[in-house]
Amino acid sequence: MRKKALAKDFRMEIRNSLNRFLSIFFIVALGVAFFAGIRASEPDMRYSGDAYFDAHNMMDMKILSTLGLTEADIEAIQAVEGVEKVEPGYMIDVLALMGESERVIHVESLPETMNQVDVAEGRLPEKKGECIIDMDTAASYDIKIGDTLTFLSGTDTELSENLATEEYTVVGTCSSPMYISFNRGSTNIGSGEIDMFAYVTDESFDQEVYSQAYVTVKGAKGATAFTDSYREIVDKVKENVEGISDVRCDIRYAEIMDEANEKVAEAESELEEAKEEAKTELDEAEQELKDGEAKLADGKAELASSENDIREAKNKLYDSRTTLDDGWNQYNNGKTQMESGKAALEEAEKTLGENEAALADGESQIAEAEKNLVEKESELTTAEQGLSDAKALIDGLSTGWQQYQAGMSGLETLKNQLAQLEQLISAGMATPEQIAQAEQLRAVIAQTEAQMAEIKANLDAMEAMRPAAEEALAHEAEIIAGRAELEAGKSELEAKKSELAEGRKQLEAGKEELEERKTSLAEAEKALADSYNQLASGESAYITGWGQVNDGEVQIREAYATIAENEQKLADGWEEYEKGKKEAEEKISDAEIKIQDAKNEIDGIDKPSWYVNDRDSNSDYSGYSDNADRMRAIGSVFPVLFFLVAALVSLTTMTRMVEEQRIQIGTLKALGYSKFWIAAKYVGYALAATLGGSVAGVLFGQKVFPYIIVIAYKIMYIHIPDVVIPYDMGYALAASGTAVLCTMAATISACYRALQAQPAELMRPEAPKIGKRVFLERIPWIWGNLNFTWKSTVRNLLRYKKRFFMTVFGIGGCMALMIVGYGLKDSIMDIARLQYRKIQIYDLMAVIDEDIDTEEKKSIDMGLESDERICSYMDGYMRLSEVTLGDEKKDIYLYIPSELEGLDKFVTFNDRTSGDTWQMTEDSAILTEKAAKDMVVSVGDEIQIELEDNETITVTVTDICENYLSHYIYLAPQLYETLTGDVPPYNCIFADLKEEYEEELTQVGEELLKNDGILTVSYTNNMESQLEDMLSVLDSVIVVLIISAGMLAFVVLYNLNNININERKRELATLKVLGFYDMEVGNYVYRENILLTIIGAVAGVFLGKVLHQFVIQTVEVEMTMFGRNINMPSYLYAIGFTFLFSLLVNLVMYFKLKKINMVESLKSVE
Amino acid sequence: MEAYVKLENVTKIYRMGEIEIRAADGIDFEIMKGEFVVIVGPSGAGKTTVLNVLGGMDTVTGGSIWVDGKDISKYSSTELTGYRRDDIGFVFQFYNLISNLTALENVELALQICRDPLSASSVLKDVGLGDRMKNFPAQLSGGEQQRVSIARALAKNPKLLLCDEPTGALDYNTGKAILKLLQDMCRERGMTVIVITHNSAIAPMADRVIKIKNGKVSEVTVNENPVSVETIEW
Repeated sequence: MRKKALAKDFRMEIRNSLNRFLSIFFIVALGVAFFAGIRASEPDMRYSGDAYFDAHNMMDMKILSTLGLTEADIEAIQAVEGVEKVEPGYMIDVLALMGESERVIHVESLPETMNQVDVAEGRLPEKKGECIIDMDTAASYDIKIGDTLTFLSGTDTELSENLATEEYTVVGTCSSPMYISFNRGSTNIGSGEIDMFAYVTDESFDQEVYSQAYVTVKGAKGATAFTDSYREIVDKVKENVEGISDVRCDIRYAEIMDEANEKVAEAESELEEAKEEAKTELDEAEQELKDGEAKLADGKAELASSENDIREAKNKLYDSRTTLDDGWNQYNNGKTQMESGKAALEEAEKTLGENEAALADGESQIAEAEKNLVEKESELTTAEQGLSDAKALIDGLSTGWQQYQAGMSGLETLKNQLAQLEQLISAGMATPEQIAQAEQLRAVIAQTEAQMAEIKANLDAMEAMRPAAEEALAHEAEIIAGRAELEAGKSELEAKKSELAEGRKQLEAGKEELEERKTSLAEAEKALADSYNQLASGESAYITGWGQVNDGEVQIREAYATIAENEQKLADGWEEYEKGKKEAEEKISDAEIKIQDAKNEIDGIDKPSWYVNDRDSNSDYSGYSDNADRMRAIGSVFPVLFFLVAALVSLTTMTRMVEEQRIQIGTLKALGYSKFWIAAKYVGYALAATLGGSVAGVLFGQKVFPYIIVIAYKIMYIHIPDVVIPYDMGYALAASGTAVLCTMAATISACYRALQAQPAELMRPEAPKIGKRVFLERIPWIWGNLNFTWKSTVRNLLRYKKRFFMTVFGIGGCMALMIVGYGLKDSIMDIARLQYRKIQIYDLMAVIDEDIDTEEKKSIDMGLESDERICSYMDGYMRLSEVTLGDEKKDIYLYIPSELEGLDKFVTFNDRTSGDTWQMTEDSAILTEKAAKDMVVSVGDEIQIELEDNETITVTVTDICENYLSHYIYLAPQLYETLTGDVPPYNCIFADLKEEYEEELTQVGEELLKNDGILTVSYTNNMESQLEDMLSVLDSVIVVLIISAGMLAFVVLYNLNNININERKRELATLKVLGFYDMEVGNYVYRENILLTIIGAVAGVFLGKVLHQFVIQTVEVEMTMFGRNINMPSYLYAIGFTFLFSLLVNLVMYFKLKKINMVESLKSVE
Repeated sequence: MEAYVKLENVTKIYRMGEIEIRAADGIDFEIMKGEFVVIVGPSGAGKTTVLNVLGGMDTVTGGSIWVDGKDISKYSSTELTGYRRDDIGFVFQFYNLISNLTALENVELALQICRDPLSASSVLKDVGLGDRMKNFPAQLSGGEQQRVSIARALAKNPKLLLCDEPTGALDYNTGKAILKLLQDMCRERGMTVIVITHNSAIAPMADRVIKIKNGKVSEVTVNENPVSVETIEW
């Protein structure tokens, strides 16, 4: 390797000057880390937010309608171009008692796919009456899972008209992408501010139409939230949706109007019916009363006749007594007669019974005899049959045997024939025919033999039965005698039978007679019983008769009472009738009024309008975006200066290094090394340090800075879980590239200058700079009092201007950065306090319904007037109006107080820079500072303000006042009247509480809200704390800035001191040889350092002040102006830190000084 | 007569890892008060080591150095600083003036720290720079700068004036003039002057010549009749 020596020299150079190398390395690393890191923070914040919103499928738009959304509306929205999905839902703001106080809960139906909640504890609601609540506020209101919340309506409408049930069990806690911070939104019930959100299922709602619809937009998910590309996509679709809103609203309006008109018509017809009904009822009642009167008269007449009847009845009763007594005598006679007849009958009956029994006996004997006869006959018949059978068998046997004999003889013949044939055969003389015949015969014989055997067997069997048959034949005579005996028995029986039939006939005749007598007796008995009954009933009728008479007499007495009573009732009835009539008339007129009211109300129904809100109308979301914007603004200014300082210092360091090594360069040149290889060492050195630093800086900075910042923001946005920190190559390359370029350019130009010179020239010490008298020497009284070291110091400082400015700029830059850091904190953190404690000093603002009637307004005023907690109040007009000056347009709040006197209790007008305070006069038009600056308006300019109904007024700006949040143009009411001829349509009330009652602010607000005419109430202390919360996040960011600036300050100071000492080693060694103590040598150096630090710090104060103004104006977002102030402590902190670092560096340097070898002084000048 | 400066077996060993370098390997010599001494020797012989230890800029490894009855080899670094401050005047080869101070101020710089200094301007006049006092070093020639350097050393009124190759960076004539100045100072003020040089040609002008070779004193010559520098040619 040709350049081995050079390579080694390069390595040794790095090792020997490690602290210089590391200085550059760290300065570049810090600069690059800060630049690339802070710059990347803003996109990283957006990425983190976007990742979270995408993961939770956050809606892109929310559509609200003043009269609700119908299914048809939802379909229409779905059909809009660019709409990906629509999810309709319900929502309502309700009140609930938590602990002692009433809280406002925003209840919403759980969307299916959008705005997905993260369940922290428990589960999602699954059925009616369950809810999942806001995890952030659940704890602060001490609500646990399992608790039951009872919702109350915050308006006149019954809760049941909107919700299916009032009681909700908390089943879980959650966070929602719609509420990423602490803001829950505002409402028109309760305190005016929502305290908590809750999600329930659709069934928990009981509403006819949807209250809102969430919409996602095609392609929006792909874009990063908060970016312009996202907004562009959504805005286009938003316009489309707004495009259909008019048509949909018209339809909805028509629908509602139709329905309402129908209802009114219905009510009217109902009223007619009711009128009719009432009339009928009244008429009927009248008729009834009249009828009652008639009836009463009738009753009276009837009563008289019934008294007569009773008298008659009594007479009748006396008569009937005599008749009854006669009847009883007759009855007793008849009864005696009948009893004797009954005894005779019983006698006859007994005789008849005896006869009948005898007859029955005879009959049964005959039956017995008949039965015996039948038995005997059957026996006889069987015997006769057996006899004939036996005879047949014996005949059969004899014939059989004869046949058998004949058969056997036939067989014998056949056998003989066969024998003859066989003889022939055996003799061999037989013809073939004969042989065949023999064969045939043999077969016939065999067959016949078998048949004969069978026949014999049969005959043998029959022969076995022969003895029995022969025995039967022996009894034949006996049987014939039996038959004759039987015939005689039969005829005897027939005679007896006819005898008995005669007896039976006689008995039947006796029975009949008896029956006849019985019947006549029974009839007589019945007649007797009848007459008894008649008598008994006559008797009871008699008793009843008397009872009736008595009752009748009682009834008559009662009737007299009743008549009196009824007479009273009738009188009452008439009275009631009159009353009812009057009532009915009243009711009818009431109903008529109501119908009229309803008609008026219908006339009052406004055409509905849609509110198409994109994500930016969610204040948490837009707040996050604002914060990212602020971060970008900080990133656009602050790191540049930081980087500038870093680049400058490393540049200086490299230049110094080349200059220090003149002799080495000269030597190498003399040795014949090419310029390229000589320069390569320094360029390589710079490149290694810068590139290394850049890489380290990017790797570190782009992870750590965004991480710290996003984490800091998570204090406020606790639910954004994903810190997405990708490396941002753009910023990384920009920062690294610039750093490398700076140092490389510096190194190359330094090398170029050195290399242009001749080697000999290089090897000679550089001609020292001509000593020059500095201007201070011309002031003897200063110069004369300086000792030599001071003189030397002063001359040193003033002669090496480059070093001086580099150091001053380095220290001043870091100091400025720290001042900017602290200053940002001062300016930003103060605005909430300034805005609400110094400028807008009222405590609450209530927005009044535009359509409020004077009566109600009066009662509200009375309430305020009599409230002892309120110090003062005033009506005002407030409206966001477009203000124009030339081409400049801006949305500014037009604010018109109702009076000028006492206005200073609500708003302070003053000039920020001069601090002058002034009062509003009758022709005042005061514009706030930031608006004036943005629009380039100055006092005396004429601006146009657009009013409601597109009317425009032109006013001359009379003053410009301090203001931090939003923009206002304050107009005197008199001026407005002159310009428009009208009194301003006051739409809000400002109130200021007495100091001792300030804690009761919310209560005052709640009481105010109970008035129907009050729409919302907002409190300045809430706005102040919200703003402070939001800005407090910047606090941690600022800490990052301050620490980074401090670190840079330290490294820069170290590096500059290091250079200073390295350059002056020889001088310091000489001093040592001259006998200076270490401390004296140190002082010699320190004096310079301290002076430089002081000068740098002074420069830093000015630079910081200027830079702060610049940064603060860049950081400002459209709606806010930050303070322009840097408080004294901030300067002190910055100065303190700078000096502390300086001290630390000097301490480190002391040891380095101690190490300087005196032998250095003997070396030749380099 | 008691020796004013006395080195006894002075050794100085530098350790460079494994290797020991014996820069001074037992040096012994004596110098009387008011003598003009020239220490000569080739490069690397140990002259500078002698200068360093004698000037209190370095400590010895062994042996002792007596200056005006005090053993400075036992001094701490603070005592050594005091020794340099009060007892030693140093003349460098490259003058080592503070470039931001005028000639006068450079002299005064040294004076402000010592006990009983001489008047800076009179010393500067003595060295022949009466009219260049207000000039900065860069405005002076090499010889003039060396004169300032000598004035700075003399003004401290030291016990010893140590000169390290005082003519090394100067041309012949200027060098001669400087040596003349030193010799005159020695003679006129009774100052003990030690000149360290590799140029043995100037040995005749010295009262005592100490030759050093390989870390040892090879020869000490006491010159009974030193000649004036003008008569020496090299």
